[in-house]
Formats: sequence, C-alpha cells, structure tokens
Amino acid sequence: MKCNHPSRFGTLYVIFCAMLASSIVQGARYFEKKVLLDPPANVTISRPGHQGQLYVSWMPPPLKYMDDSMIYEVSYATADSHRWQVDVAKASSKTILRGLQQSTNYKVRVRVKLDGISYNGFWSAWSDPVYMETLPAELDLLIVSLTLIISFILIVVSLTILLYHRRFLAKKIWPNIPTPDRKFQGLFTVYGGDFEEWLGQSNGGFRLTRGFFNSEECTSPLEVLSELSLCPSLPSPPLPPKASRALTTGAKHNMDVKKRLERRETAEMVDSAGTEGWRAPPHDHWLMDCLRALQQDTIPSSQSSILESQDAYVTLSANNCSNNEHLDDILEEASPLEALFASRKTVSSGSHSDLGSVQQSSGSGRLSSQSSFEYPNHTWMPRGPAEFTYMAVADSGVSMDYSPMSRADDIGKMVIYAHDYKNDIPAQVRPFLLSQHPFHDVDS
Amino acid sequence: MEFPRLLALLLILLEWTRPGLPSPLRPICDLRVLNHFIKEARDAEVAMKSCREGCSLSESVTVPQTRVELDVWEKKNALEQAQEVQTGLWLLKPALSLLQTSVTNTALLSHIDNSIRNLLSISAVLRSLNIQEFTPPASAAGLEGTWTVSSSTDLLQVHVNFLRGKVRLLLLDAQACQQDVS
Repeated sequence: MKCNHPSRFGTLYVIFCAMLASSIVQGARYFEKKVLLDPPANVTISRPGHQGQLYVSWMPPPLKYMDDSMIYEVSYATADSHRWQVDVAKASSKTILRGLQQSTNYKVRVRVKLDGISYNGFWSAWSDPVYMETLPAELDLLIVSLTLIISFILIVVSLTILLYHRRFLAKKIWPNIPTPDRKFQGLFTVYGGDFEEWLGQSNGGFRLTRGFFNSEECTSPLEVLSELSLCPSLPSPPLPPKASRALTTGAKHNMDVKKRLERRETAEMVDSAGTEGWRAPPHDHWLMDCLRALQQDTIPSSQSSILESQDAYVTLSANNCSNNEHLDDILEEASPLEALFASRKTVSSGSHSDLGSVQQSSGSGRLSSQSSFEYPNHTWMPRGPAEFTYMAVADSGVSMDYSPMSRADDIGKMVIYAHDYKNDIPAQVRPFLLSQHPFHDVDS
Repeated sequence: MEFPRLLALLLILLEWTRPGLPSPLRPICDLRVLNHFIKEARDAEVAMKSCREGCSLSESVTVPQTRVELDVWEKKNALEQAQEVQTGLWLLKPALSLLQTSVTNTALLSHIDNSIRNLLSISAVLRSLNIQEFTPPASAAGLEGTWTVSSSTDLLQVHVNFLRGKVRLLLLDAQACQQDVS
C-alpha cells in the first residue's frame, strides 16, 4: 500500500506504515509522541589498539529529521554468560566499550529510542548480537623498560655504597680477632704455643727487642752507678761490665763456654785494671761491648748482649771486691746460680731452666724474678749486703718495676711478677731467696 | 628583545582601531538550544494541565497552525519556510503575553515568563542563522495558516508543537548550519 508521509504535529489520529516500520499509534493525540522504531541495523564491532576495549558502531533507523532525537542503548556480555551489561544511552551512533577482559569473546547488541524532546516513543527491540574477541594480554613495554631501569639504578647505588663502606662492612661481618701471633713470631707456627721453647730457641723475640734492650740498657750504667755504693774498693761500674761479660743463659752449655771465656776476660780485666781506674774504662769497655753485641748477630752474642743489657739494670749486691777466686769459680760454673754460689760451694738447683736461673740468681741480690726474658746473671756475685736491686724486665709484655730494695728484710716487699707463660717462681725457690741474706751476711 | 613586544602592541592597537562592521553572530546550529526551549515549553504545558483555577485565557488569540506535512514542507523553499516560522513567532508572542496577564497562578506564571523569554531567544537564534527579518503584515486576521484558540491549554500546546515542528525543521535545514556540517 502506498505510504504517504504522515501528518505530524497535528491532532490527527494516523496509522503509520512502513516508513516508520513498526510504529504503532497508541491512541495518543499526538502520534509523534508514541513512536516505536526498528532496532538499529549494521551493528559492527572493531578492536582498537588498546587492551580491553571494543569499538561498536551501527546504523540508526533511517528516519528523516529524527536522527538527532534518537538515543541508543548498548548491551554487552561475555559469549557464554547471560548477564548483560548496559552501556550508557547516548545520542551518537558509535561508542567504545571499556574495561573488558582480555582474550574474551564478547557479544554486543543495540536498541534505539526517541529522546522524548521533539519525539517520544518506546525502546525498540534489541538488535541481533554481534560477537567479537578482545585482544590478548601483552606486556607493556613501557612498564618493563621502566622496571629494568629502576632496578639497574638501585643496583648501581647499592654497589657504590658497598664499595665506599667496604672496610666498615668487612669489619662488621668478619671482625678482626686479635691474635698475638704477630708479636711472637714463630711461637704458634713453629713451637705450637710452647712459650718456653720459643724463648729458648727463637731469637726472633730477642731480635725484636734487642734494639730495645741495647738502646736503653746501654745507657743504664749511669743508673747503676748512681746506686751502687757497697764496695768502695771495688766500684760498682765494674760490676755491670763484668756481669755483661760473664753471662750464662743457663740454658745451653755451649753458650756458657763462650761466656766463661768472656767472663775470664772480664775477670782479668777486673783484676788487671785495678780498683780506682775502673770506673771509666770498664764503663767504656762495657759500652764497647754493647756495640759489639749489637753488631754481632750470633745467638750467643745476642743473648749475651741481652743479658748484658739486663745486667745493666741489675746491681750486684754481693760484694765482689774481695775475692777474685770467687769470680773465677763463678765464671767457670755452667749455671749462673752455680757461679753465684761457687764461693760458698752451694749447689744451684734452679739452673736447669731459664726461669730457674732467673729465680735463683736473684738470690745474690734479692732480685725479684721477672719475665722469662730475664736471664740470671751469674756474675751477680755476692758483694756484701744487698742494698739496691733493680730488676729490669726486658719483656714485651711484662711490666717493669724499678723498685729499690734496701734491706734483706724488704724481701717480703718484693714484688714478684709472674709471667703469663709458665713463669712462676717455684715454691722451693722462695725460701731460697730468703735464705740469701744469711749468705750475704756470711760473706760480708 | 623589544621588537616582539612592540609588534604585539602594534597589532593590538590595530585591532581596536580597525574600522568595519561588527563581527557577525556566530550561527547557533546546535539544536540542543532549541531542545532546551522545547523542554521548558513542555514543562509549562504540564503545569497548565494541573492548574485548576486562575489559569484561563481571557480572550481568543490567533495562533499559527502546527501541522506539518513533510512533502509539502520540503517543496517550499527556504524563504517561504522562514516566512512561515517568523509569522508564527510573531503571532505567539502577544498570545503568551495575554496569557501572562490572564493567569494568576504563580507557578504557572513563572513558566509562562520562561516561555516568553525563550521566544525572544529563538528570534535571536534565527537572526544568527541569517534568516531574514520578518516584516509584520498589516493585520493578523486573514493570514494563512492561522487559527484561533480560546483555552490556555490549547495555546500552550500550540506553542510546544510549533517549536517542535516548524521551528525545528527550519533550524535543521538552515543553510548556515548546512555549510558547517560536511
């Protein structure tokens, strides 16, 4: 049937035909208010470049003058579900769906209605659904690159900090445990911690301290001079030289032989030099010997030099002025203690070890036993009442006490420094020490 | 860099002193303006329907016909279409003014005031589209395409339908707007 253009905006009651498709007059006065349109046609879906988005477009119903009065509704859902989501109704014939899942099949449908301002009506039927699959998920290049750059920067910064505080961190993680190995060369590696052996065998310790000894104790005669006043006939200066010459380590007999020779020399010197002039020449001779000892690099000499230096601090309380024979006897003895008590024909018992000799030799002058470094001076011959005794401790770790001891009864006040390494005064020696006094008294 | 500043100042001065016509009105092609007027006219119509007292028209007024037959309308040229719309607007303005004086309901009065303002705005919109000015005829009586109404509801209904129909069609087909839309 021929379909003419219907009248609009009038009060006519008209039935529309195909031009308005299925529009039906609902008995309203103004038909243009009740228009039912056909659903939109040609719904097409495309995929824009972005993730989770779909671009939908359609053809509006071909009605003249009504294009701008139409509003649309887009409905979408995943292909297998029945829960339709409705996009906002809008006037344009295209839209973009956002927030979709990736790699999912979606179905989309559209319907149309007049907006109700100029024309009014009902919602049209839904268009046929159209299917489309969204893009699959892909790594965002920007995020990946930024992550790599930031991690690289963090690594560089942390490495820089670590390098700057390398030592600090190393100290924290691996703390520096102090070991005495550096000071005592060879003590742990060669002798396995046996300090006595190391003392006896190694000269490294001596060598370490030789300069120390010599430098200091070569000048010690001055100190000694000022203190000694026991034997006017025989001035004290000869004592140190003599003591320095006649040294016995008490540990090795071959060394003692050498020392005996030296002692003889000194004894001869003492004998020959005389009493008066001995102050200066023995002193000089002693100094020269000190120098010689420094130059010599042999064990005995070093030891002797050390002993010399030690002896420099030790003042002989025994009176040596009287008896040269005593000297000879003493000189010929292997152990210093034997030498000490040679005149009295006493047997030294503590001459076996250095320590013992140290302890026993102190009987001559009530010397307090000191560190293992200290060797008894067998030439500490009894020269009368012991008055002043200086005990030098030439040890790297033991403290030195320069306390003068005036009387034998001051023995009780003696301070015995026990070394850490097996350097205890045997109990039997102490009464020995105490018993020196009567000997001295006997001699003097 | 004094030269750019001087140049800018010179251009500003020239703009001010430029002789010539004032710039023409920008064409208002967006139909949402008209939609807004139509909505307000509809609100007035709805308010009138719920009015019981004090909302009657004192006397009959001549109003344009609102029925449009598209094929007839399309056969007319732009000039005739414009003439028809302008005549209708010319008739509606005094009619609404009469309604304004007749109605005592305050709520309805506000709507009628809006409608009168909107008519004036529509005239401005038509002016912006270069639609020729209307030369009023000698008398309203005997004009083609007019009829008389005596009730306020009819008057407001005509008002709404006129806006929705002829005015809208004229704006849709306005030449100035057609050039913008490619």
